[in-house]
Amino acid sequence: MNLAPSDEQVALRDTVRRALAAEAPVAEHARPLAAGGTWAPDRAWARLAGLGALDVLVPASRGGSGLGMVEAAIVAEEMGRALHAGPWLATAVAAVRAAGAAGAPFAPGDGTAAVALPWPGHDPGFVLDAAGRVTGAQDHVLGAPPAGRLLLPAMRGREVVLVAVEGAGCAAEPGVDATTSLGRVAVDGAGCEVLGALPDGALDAVRDDVLVAWAADALGAARAVLALAVEHAKVRHQFGQPIGAFQAVQHLLVDALETVELVAGGVLHAAWAADAGDGERHLAALRLKAFAARLATVGDIAIQVLGGIGYTWEHDAHLYLRRLLGWSVAFGPASSYQVEVGRRAKMTRVSEREEA
Amino acid sequence: MDFRLPPPVLAFRDRLRAWLAGNLTDEVRAASRRRGAGDDALAVLRAWDRTMADAGWAAISWPVEYGGRGASALEQLVFTEETIAAGAPTPVNVIGINNIAPVIMQYGTERQRRELLPRMVRADDIWCQGMSEPDAGSDLASLRTRAVRDGDDFVVTGQKTWTSNGHRADWCALFVRTDPDVPRHRGISCLVVDMRSPGIEARPLRTLTGDAEFAEVFFDDVRVPAAALLGPLDGGWAVATSTLSHERAGAARLYAMIRVRLRDLVEDLRTAERHGLVDLDDPLVLARLGELDTRLAFLAVLCLRSISGAGDDASGAASLAKTVWGELEQDVATLGHDLLGAHDPGGRWSVARLSTRSLTIAGGTTQVNKNVTAQRVLGLPRR
Repeated sequence: MNLAPSDEQVALRDTVRRALAAEAPVAEHARPLAAGGTWAPDRAWARLAGLGALDVLVPASRGGSGLGMVEAAIVAEEMGRALHAGPWLATAVAAVRAAGAAGAPFAPGDGTAAVALPWPGHDPGFVLDAAGRVTGAQDHVLGAPPAGRLLLPAMRGREVVLVAVEGAGCAAEPGVDATTSLGRVAVDGAGCEVLGALPDGALDAVRDDVLVAWAADALGAARAVLALAVEHAKVRHQFGQPIGAFQAVQHLLVDALETVELVAGGVLHAAWAADAGDGERHLAALRLKAFAARLATVGDIAIQVLGGIGYTWEHDAHLYLRRLLGWSVAFGPASSYQVEVGRRAKMTRVSEREEA
Repeated sequence: MDFRLPPPVLAFRDRLRAWLAGNLTDEVRAASRRRGAGDDALAVLRAWDRTMADAGWAAISWPVEYGGRGASALEQLVFTEETIAAGAPTPVNVIGINNIAPVIMQYGTERQRRELLPRMVRADDIWCQGMSEPDAGSDLASLRTRAVRDGDDFVVTGQKTWTSNGHRADWCALFVRTDPDVPRHRGISCLVVDMRSPGIEARPLRTLTGDAEFAEVFFDDVRVPAAALLGPLDGGWAVATSTLSHERAGAARLYAMIRVRLRDLVEDLRTAERHGLVDLDDPLVLARLGELDTRLAFLAVLCLRSISGAGDDASGAASLAKTVWGELEQDVATLGHDLLGAHDPGGRWSVARLSTRSLTIAGGTTQVNKNVTAQRVLGLPRR
């Protein structure tokens, strides 16, 4: 057992962090989006592509980096830390994994893509007819727009296939977080390319990987906003001393640190479980989402510690809180996932006992 | 990055499992649950420690020359996970084995090592640790029990309290003030005190559950031979903070215990469900269960990081893990009591609801622990 990152993993983290800090600092990148701008492929995206950060999950035999979810989580955490708006989760995780599952491996190059994943327990939102045309709709699709290539899971008779359409009917949904784009995808008899059949459970597995990477993204945002609050607590003086010397403030920040480190462990385990094909893989992803609302409290605490300054539009704290709130409602409320984890806990713990 | 155990450690686990399966009886498991509840349970626990010692499974963290196995951190981790999952008792002298014995090995005389260590590990002698005082709880460095040198003896006067097994102990690792004129952390020493010495009175102190797990201990001009000094004179603070311990996987105890509690809770809930007493399809109940399961899974990784990690990450993770553990085990007990307390008044969930209050107090309160984390990990200023 070894839970420390390898030298290569540390180098990947540092490289992506430096690239994002240089090409897309929060003030120049996330701020304009919050003011109503829209993201389009930019120099940061080209840098990420150049670093291989879009191809992390593409097999080496297909020209990708041939890495796993542990590395994907490392990149995702940096994207969240930088509040980067590029559709990295949609392209580098959802699309690469979905296409791979359909037997039509996809290498993003420097392009963008998204997958119209249904929420858990729901059927795909699309139907492929005998003439090879696709019809249907899906709300809250991550990365659509701006995705150039849209991958739609569609029913063909009783089987699920993955089809691709280029630049079809996406409408951006206004959301709490301007740095994460969600949209409604609707097509009506659109021509498409059939990529292949999706085996049973394949969509759930893709969603699990997206959940793990999205949790890592939110973790990065949480770490960044906590660091802002800690720094503030060291330099902001009231009553003749730094506010960070007050125990009430210290305990708030330790509570936030506790949440951050718990999620860090959860991400580490879930990413490893995905790569290792461990039996707890699915459960590990569900747990991350079950904790999503608690992770958002890191943003709440940071704003509390920042005080009046943190409640202003000018301070960046709300940008991070918004990113965390986006994660907390992604693919449904955290409470639904708590119920599902509870249902599994109820079953598995008893079977463990019977095994023993 | 790998959560898997290497093959030699898996083989170690299999040997331990097989031994536990052949030796751990229901009687021992029952005594383990009734820890501190009475002398009959204690007798069973002592016999179990002897059985473990005879088979070479006691004090595995100790070096081989003192009867241990010199076990690696991962072997200690597996040992902790397996013994707790199987319902085996914690050693009667767990504090002695982990915290006091390493000091005896480092600083003790040859005679102390030879006479004290084997009897400690077999629970032939019971050990307590004299730390807390009425006015020195979380603020241990303010302790006032004093030891004054008089010829070949120290003369000890003062009072300890909340001393686990204090009323049953044969020996006490007693922390005393030997120099009142230096900064308070520097004037503390540790003495190995024979609890049958004249002038010692130990009064069992009932905890809020009604059990007598600990005691208050009074020292009235107790003469202790100077040779009983353990570690350097006035160097007791390092001894108290157990920097010498061979225990590397103590954090595994945290999540392993809660795993068992949560398993017990689910088992009791399902039994109650069969009798129509609780509705386990209630989403409110499932959500609480799911939240506990999630926090437990994340805590386990935090503990593993504190065991397998290095430097800052390890110590930061360890202090957070203790905070998370205390509150999580309290929350498991609270759910158990909420759902089952009405149907089993005085039963194990009522007791757990009460007894788990100690978990955010003993060994340093959660609030003090948070102060330490704020200052050491986040780098926030002291007042």
